[in-house]
Amino acid sequence: MIVGTQKPIAEIKAMVKPYRRLLVLGCGTCVKTCFAGGEDEVLALSSALRLAFRVDGEEIDVKGQTVERQCEDEFIQEAAGGVAHCDAVLSLACGAGVQAVARRYPNTPVLPGVNTTFIGVREGQGLFTEECIGCGNCVLAEFGGVCPITRCAKRLLNGPCGGSRNGKCEVNPDTDCAWQLIIDRLKLLGQLDALRTYRSPRDWRPGIAGGPRRLVREDHII
Amino acid sequence: MPAAPAPGITVLHCINALTDVAAFALHSTENARIHAVKLPCSGMTRDIFLLKAFEVGADAVVLFTCPEGACRHLDGNIRAWKRVERVRGILDEIGLSSRRLSAFSIAPGDQEAVSLALRKVVSELAVLGPNPAARACPEITSGLTSATTS
Repeated sequence: MIVGTQKPIAEIKAMVKPYRRLLVLGCGTCVKTCFAGGEDEVLALSSALRLAFRVDGEEIDVKGQTVERQCEDEFIQEAAGGVAHCDAVLSLACGAGVQAVARRYPNTPVLPGVNTTFIGVREGQGLFTEECIGCGNCVLAEFGGVCPITRCAKRLLNGPCGGSRNGKCEVNPDTDCAWQLIIDRLKLLGQLDALRTYRSPRDWRPGIAGGPRRLVREDHII
Repeated sequence: MPAAPAPGITVLHCINALTDVAAFALHSTENARIHAVKLPCSGMTRDIFLLKAFEVGADAVVLFTCPEGACRHLDGNIRAWKRVERVRGILDEIGLSSRRLSAFSIAPGDQEAVSLALRKVVSELAVLGPNPAARACPEITSGLTSATTS
């Protein structure tokens, strides 16, 4: 899932200040799960914005709506009625959702209310960790299902670096050393010998270094 | 010159912590206008419930929960306290003051503790004054009066 955090209210307030009628548009998929932009967050942020402007002696008409996914046009179209009656949309989706909404409604300013942070997993209630950077050429099979590119602070493919202490990363002691995890998992799988293979410098072009990516599935295009 | 109206306080309470709203009666008539909202468990508290209370004119919002370890639903009270802390942060961020929102643990039936807590909130409001967000929107402020329980 894509993980994000809501922007500070002060930043959002400054962003929406020029507009009198605002639609706060939530997304019911990834950002709902990480408590950044689902229905609950739409309601709370809408209320907080109304209060914030009233404290300054101003009134703003804030309405809220949440669609299932802001990264798919079929769902975005459900917001057409709300968008038609607002001066701007404050999207609580990830960056992809914000841009998809802006593409669907080109005459209405679409503002981001969330900082998109990473592709991750929900480790527990309220705890999310980054697990994938979308490098475009997955190597998890070689590393026991632990990604050294995402989870090693030094992105080492020929690790470990030697700096970890008690299984924790020297860059951030709150983070597990990815290479400790890789070695533990490969031991468990009886595949530790896989680490004898030298990994040559990586071709980063399948990742974002090669420019914006595009996926075409001809078998699904009519 | 007419006297200033008594402050409006929205009280959300777990029905297990406080089943009898008679505890509010004295304050409703003398010190404050109390709008009581029953919850099956304080863990059902949502950010929007707390914020909406301020929107419709409450000068302060109070949450009464069961004491830690005494929640019938295990950790509803702990969740409620965390949500209160989060919304207190929002109130400070928007200039409404986190001191307008408070939570108290109440042993079942301890009406004296309820009175004590409400007295504390009323005295805090004497310093803070009315909710500035409600003052800017008088038609909403009047809505509180009609919703007030006594």
